[in-house]
Amino acid sequence: MSEIKVEQLRHVYSAGTPFEKVAIDGINLTIPHGQLVGIIGHTGSGKSTFIQHLNALLAPSSGKVLCAGKDINENKISRRDVKGQVGLVFQYPEYQLFEETVYKDIAFGPANMKLSPEEIDSRVREAANFVGLDEELFERSPLELSGGQKRRIAIAGVIAMRPGVLVLDEPTAGLDPAGCRQVLDNICAYREKTGATVIIVSHSMDDVAKIAERILVFDRGGIVMDGTPSEVFSHPEELISIGLDVPKATELAMALRKRGVKLPESIYSHEQLLSAIVSLREGQKC
Amino acid sequence: MLKDITLGQFFPGDTVVHRLDPRTKLILVVVYIIALFQASGWVSYAAVTAATAACMALSHIKPGNIFKGLKPMLFIIVLTALLNIFYTDGTPVIPGWIITWQGIARAVQMILRIILLITGTFLLTYTTSPIALTDGLDILFGPLKKIKVPVHEMTIMMSMALRFIPTLIEETDKIMSAQKARGADFETGSLISRAKALLPILVPLFVSAFRRADELAVAMESRCYHGGEGRTRMKRLRMAGIDYAALIIGAAFLAAMIVMKKFGI
Amino acid sequence: MRDGVCLEKESPAADGASQAADAVIRFEDVHYTYPGYDTETLCGIDLEIKKGSFVAVLGHNGSGKSTLAKLTNAILVPDKGRVLVAGIDTADEERVIDVRRTVGMVFQNPDNQIVANVVEDDVAFAPENLGVEPAEIRRRVDEALKQVGMYEMRMHAPHLLSGGQKQRVAIAGVIAMEPGIIVLDEPTAMLDPQGRHEVISTVTKLCRDKKMTVVLITHHMDECVRADRLIVMSAGKIIADGKPAEVFADVELMESEGLTVPETTRLLYDLRKAGMTLPGEELDVEGCAEEIAQGLRL
Repeated sequence: MSEIKVEQLRHVYSAGTPFEKVAIDGINLTIPHGQLVGIIGHTGSGKSTFIQHLNALLAPSSGKVLCAGKDINENKISRRDVKGQVGLVFQYPEYQLFEETVYKDIAFGPANMKLSPEEIDSRVREAANFVGLDEELFERSPLELSGGQKRRIAIAGVIAMRPGVLVLDEPTAGLDPAGCRQVLDNICAYREKTGATVIIVSHSMDDVAKIAERILVFDRGGIVMDGTPSEVFSHPEELISIGLDVPKATELAMALRKRGVKLPESIYSHEQLLSAIVSLREGQKC
Repeated sequence: MLKDITLGQFFPGDTVVHRLDPRTKLILVVVYIIALFQASGWVSYAAVTAATAACMALSHIKPGNIFKGLKPMLFIIVLTALLNIFYTDGTPVIPGWIITWQGIARAVQMILRIILLITGTFLLTYTTSPIALTDGLDILFGPLKKIKVPVHEMTIMMSMALRFIPTLIEETDKIMSAQKARGADFETGSLISRAKALLPILVPLFVSAFRRADELAVAMESRCYHGGEGRTRMKRLRMAGIDYAALIIGAAFLAAMIVMKKFGI
Repeated sequence: MRDGVCLEKESPAADGASQAADAVIRFEDVHYTYPGYDTETLCGIDLEIKKGSFVAVLGHNGSGKSTLAKLTNAILVPDKGRVLVAGIDTADEERVIDVRRTVGMVFQNPDNQIVANVVEDDVAFAPENLGVEPAEIRRRVDEALKQVGMYEMRMHAPHLLSGGQKQRVAIAGVIAMEPGIIVLDEPTAMLDPQGRHEVISTVTKLCRDKKMTVVLITHHMDECVRADRLIVMSAGKIIADGKPAEVFADVELMESEGLTVPETTRLLYDLRKAGMTLPGEELDVEGCAEEIAQGLRL
């Protein structure tokens, strides 16, 4: 089980120089094993800095990050081991592909974990399967595939390390609607099969509203809201005031309430809005 | 980290130094370097240091920025200092020691020389936009076009390179983080295994650089770029009184340095 | 509007001159295949774009929409058929510069189209290439930067700007050519919501205030809402063309193409299916809410 616990986390870039900048400060958080967490916040709110602390890519200026009860920054070995426990998929991960073949690229992570060749092979196949990648592509060069395929290969490269916690920074950025849906489905499938914790950073409120169980809202280096989608989206004005969008359904619900339509609080999906309006209408008929 | 590299960085401003014509500044830097190599005694070193400090003050460049730029050179500076300390004959500091007073003096002078050399060139790049700089070079070397030297092409290549250095440095940082997240190890192991570990960084970096170059070429063409022929410039370079004044001061300074060298001070 | 097969059409020969003068871009049965590929990326595009209109082109990756953009700027020339920009055939090598100064292109990656280290020097790049007088360049650069709201940042280094700001600099760099037409090839694909908003409102303003013709290639349906006309592409063909509200109203077609429709259209569509009477097609949130509120009052 890999519960993530963050205590009083603070990170300062270029400390002690004129360019000093506090990126995150005072973050306290527990993410139980298996939760699907969405992180939202505009560019520069500290969310990218935060997630790089989860697998010790960045070391805290002060505070602690615990994974399964152990301080991940304790020593060199803990910092290395956590990379296998917490898999981090960066924004535009397809730009990190480098091997001659798709197979070798997916195998890079497991190989760095010094696993046996059989184990590496089974993990590569498993990861490719999760992202819906045909094994026929294994011997192709990743560079000649389409953008959506490259993205899924890169995600498979992290999944192949079989992390208990999968962190993704904007996994759907730049993809077309079909590509977005596929990547989100792949991630959900991975979580269902393995029970892993998934943390997704996204700019798309609609995506986050659709899949997350819990939403963290970052603003100016701290967490300003933390709750279920229905809790967070029941305060749409607050989100708008810190410069964030709300799901389109929430926006429509707000406009309808303004016109005196008595909708329930916290609507963040098309289905909710549709059934709320339909039941209002049924109510009128009686 | 890599982000600390300040090569080719430009700090916009509106000081006397910023306003000088890039050609003036280019010539002055050459004059400065020649003058610096005339310095042989403490008085002349003091004179160059004072001149450099004056230019820094005039340009409002903070010493911190210069030091940041010096950081990557630290190794060379220390190495030069050590070589001079240990390999100069003279009076030992303590009888029997290899370190001599002369060695220390030379080491200090060599360090000063390197720092002043770098500072002088930094002052040029910090206060001159790369476009102005390349325009200046384009004109200064313009006569070479007559003997078929592709001056325009070379200067535009230089300015593109300067434009993309920060972008590629940022990209390298990102790729390194991403590969580290996949368990790549750049710090331990034998020299060969460490060189091999660079592949996961270099391959994506080159792939991306080629892609960028390709897209940039298309973007430039679609903005009607067709070589240097018939091109105009928004910022026409014009030598003003202040440029001639600066050049005269520069010449006087060089003359003074040569005189000081004659006197060995 | 739905055209199932790639029809072989006869090229409408030299009657180009007799066409309506307000079509600034004309595609006449344009076919294009990338070198080394077997299948056609564009198969028989016929299209006229009117002066001063704001046209959005929607389609998923590989639908040919970016190829369409590149053909307007003579970056690519058709294998068959022809593309006319302000009456000039883009295949005429003598007049490539004339085509390019008429159609300004903005590309997807903001980093890879900025050539200079200072914002204003970058904006000056195109007019400098065209040999414009220095004083005139200065005027155009200042005006272009003001139009995109980047004048205050004219001395900044581009790599320190946000994505949306970089893309606005790229737009300024194009309008400094005074092109009349601006084609944007997925300009928002790499931007955050804030940056996307900045870019879209900038181009909308250029079209409304400066009467520029805008062609916006995108896969974000939200960005098409404000366009005068929406073209949907799939497999190298135009499969829908009309006012955005009308095109989106064909929800089945859009979904069969793997495209989403705006939440407003979707909601009106589903409510009608559930038996509500909602006559109008409102794309913006307020209009849609008004429509539903009225529908409920009935």
